[in-house]
Amino acid sequence: MDFGLLFDSYFAVWLNPQVLFMTLLGACGGVLLGAIPGMTATMGVALLIPFSFGMDLIPSIGLLLGIYCGGMYGGSISAILIHAPGTPSAAATLLDGYPMSQKGEAGRALSVAMFSSFCGGVIGALVMTFLSPLVADMAMNFGPGEMFMLAVFGLSVIIAISGKSIVKGLISAFFGMALCTVGLDPTNGIPRFISYKQTGLLDGFQFIPTLIGLFAVAEVISGVERIISGEEKQEKSSEKIKKVLPDLSTIKKIWPNILSGGLIGTFIGAIPGAGGDIAVFVSYGASKSASKHPELYGTGIPNGVAATESANNGCSGGAMIPLLSLGVPGDSVTAILLGAFIMKGITPGPMMYISELPTVYKVFAALMLANLCMLIVGCCGVRFFAKIVSVEKKLLYPIILVISLLGAYSINKNVFDVGVCVAFGVIGWLMNKYEFPLSPILLALILGPMCEKNFVRFMNIQQGNFMAIFQSPIAVVFMAIAVAVIIFSVFNQRKINKRMAGASASDE
Amino acid sequence: MKKTQTVAFANLIESIFFIALGIWAWIKTGSFEEVKNTYVQASTFPRIMIAGMLIFSVILCVQSIWRLATWKEEDQDSLAGKAASINVFKERPIQAAFVVIVLAVLFVALFQILGYVICAAIVSLVIMFLIGKRNWLQMVLVSVIVPLAMWFVFYKVLTVNIPMGPLSFLTDLFG
Repeated sequence: MDFGLLFDSYFAVWLNPQVLFMTLLGACGGVLLGAIPGMTATMGVALLIPFSFGMDLIPSIGLLLGIYCGGMYGGSISAILIHAPGTPSAAATLLDGYPMSQKGEAGRALSVAMFSSFCGGVIGALVMTFLSPLVADMAMNFGPGEMFMLAVFGLSVIIAISGKSIVKGLISAFFGMALCTVGLDPTNGIPRFISYKQTGLLDGFQFIPTLIGLFAVAEVISGVERIISGEEKQEKSSEKIKKVLPDLSTIKKIWPNILSGGLIGTFIGAIPGAGGDIAVFVSYGASKSASKHPELYGTGIPNGVAATESANNGCSGGAMIPLLSLGVPGDSVTAILLGAFIMKGITPGPMMYISELPTVYKVFAALMLANLCMLIVGCCGVRFFAKIVSVEKKLLYPIILVISLLGAYSINKNVFDVGVCVAFGVIGWLMNKYEFPLSPILLALILGPMCEKNFVRFMNIQQGNFMAIFQSPIAVVFMAIAVAVIIFSVFNQRKINKRMAGASASDE
Repeated sequence: MKKTQTVAFANLIESIFFIALGIWAWIKTGSFEEVKNTYVQASTFPRIMIAGMLIFSVILCVQSIWRLATWKEEDQDSLAGKAASINVFKERPIQAAFVVIVLAVLFVALFQILGYVICAAIVSLVIMFLIGKRNWLQMVLVSVIVPLAMWFVFYKVLTVNIPMGPLSFLTDLFG
């Protein structure tokens, strides 16, 4: 590695006013877009890419990376404040973020999310800078068998996020996995549970309307119910946000979660086809399993928010690794970035490290700058965002509902998706009421298609011999970790249930 | 409290629901078209998932029956506690929740005809009234301005074309 050139590139990017302005603008737009339920970082990048046509490569990459990083953090704002994850990868943030907000710590949750996003992004950018060829080589060894086992490994987290009842969590997860199979079979195009006439469901249930329904619409229905029953009274938040960044004692508590989350996010982000939506749940499960007090997860602790948000933004660096090293995009945003590179006459891949090394280093610097800009935008906005929880609930719930339904429509501009969103809102409300956890359904909806697609590919390649999976060391490692996670999570959950039973007995 | 009001009884009903759903879905997979020269049929993966759902639903069912068989009124554990109700005829909060669901369904049904802004304004206004808001000026302002602002952001900034119904002239105005 040419450190002299690396530092020169950093100075050239960071001291260029045009790059600075465009990255800051991108981060600002990304945070705002990400905070709107239904609007993802991918959509933001896709929408703004035409604006980058007339610019030089680095300012345009700065703009797009700013949106990418900003959008990743922005999704957590609505997850924390209104129980509606702005982006799929912010879905796990609400597990602890929303309870923190309900406890009157919305500002603290937002600052932890912002700080963790920044740190996760920096970890991803550092790994990308120093280890990209190494990580890319490893990530490219992932075939269908390895991807299938990665999905199984992701699913092993279900027990850790199941809450009080593992059985109910597993029913939710299998129900979610079964829902993923509605629509056309991904290999042969055979309709399942539908007919060809039901065109709205040919692609199955769209993920974002489902996500918005399960969380945002269900929360509105529950909220209305709580207001009528008198359980929810308008309380003015007593939280005064003196510092926009978390205090030192909080940072001391959350740094292991940030570090592990950042690394998990970077690694998973580097695998083509896997992204932030998987990484956040894996990181949350790992963080909960490693904690001395796993029973506190889900009750509103900063560790849960830090674990998910650092993994989320760690993915941004991770996803850039295969893009730059191999010319293979790690996720949908980097696929659009690949287009931006090609339009500027640069073809990412192994040769880029030889013929375009200064450009590669400038991209590293731009990603680091994008994370810094996201932090600046976040710091400026924390006080303003936190005010949203002070809005009267009687006004807030209807607003959340109409914005969520619009978000569901905007994905495919299809009214059917709005219907799906409402249907899942009702399902989510009922499941919440009868203590079926919703996160396993969500995880199943994320991992189900990946799991099935790779399972079918693997079985067809291996001519029906499933045992061939044991010939892949990576798959075996994932399988072993998945089994260990399941066993550990079962014991952990029993410990949690015992502690909670003990705590409630002592309360009485 | 009656035995039928406990969480254990609710769990029993839920497990029966999921078992019935699983059986129905399993039967449906039998009608999926089969393809030659493939190692995994279209029905294979759904059947694995349905089997998982059925197994754990049966476990929940057995757990619930066992708990109900040993139930005593003075029991304090979580399964012996009072289950949530969805009795729409007796409880006002549930009635309100159902009104919100009906409004959301109407929103979907009338979305293309009345357009987003009108549907959203009506739904917001009714929900605000339902949950006890009586400041009409605030209610009208919020339920009109928020959908209009959202439409503007989506239409102008994010270039998403949203049905506007009778208010389509706004699209031409800002076109």
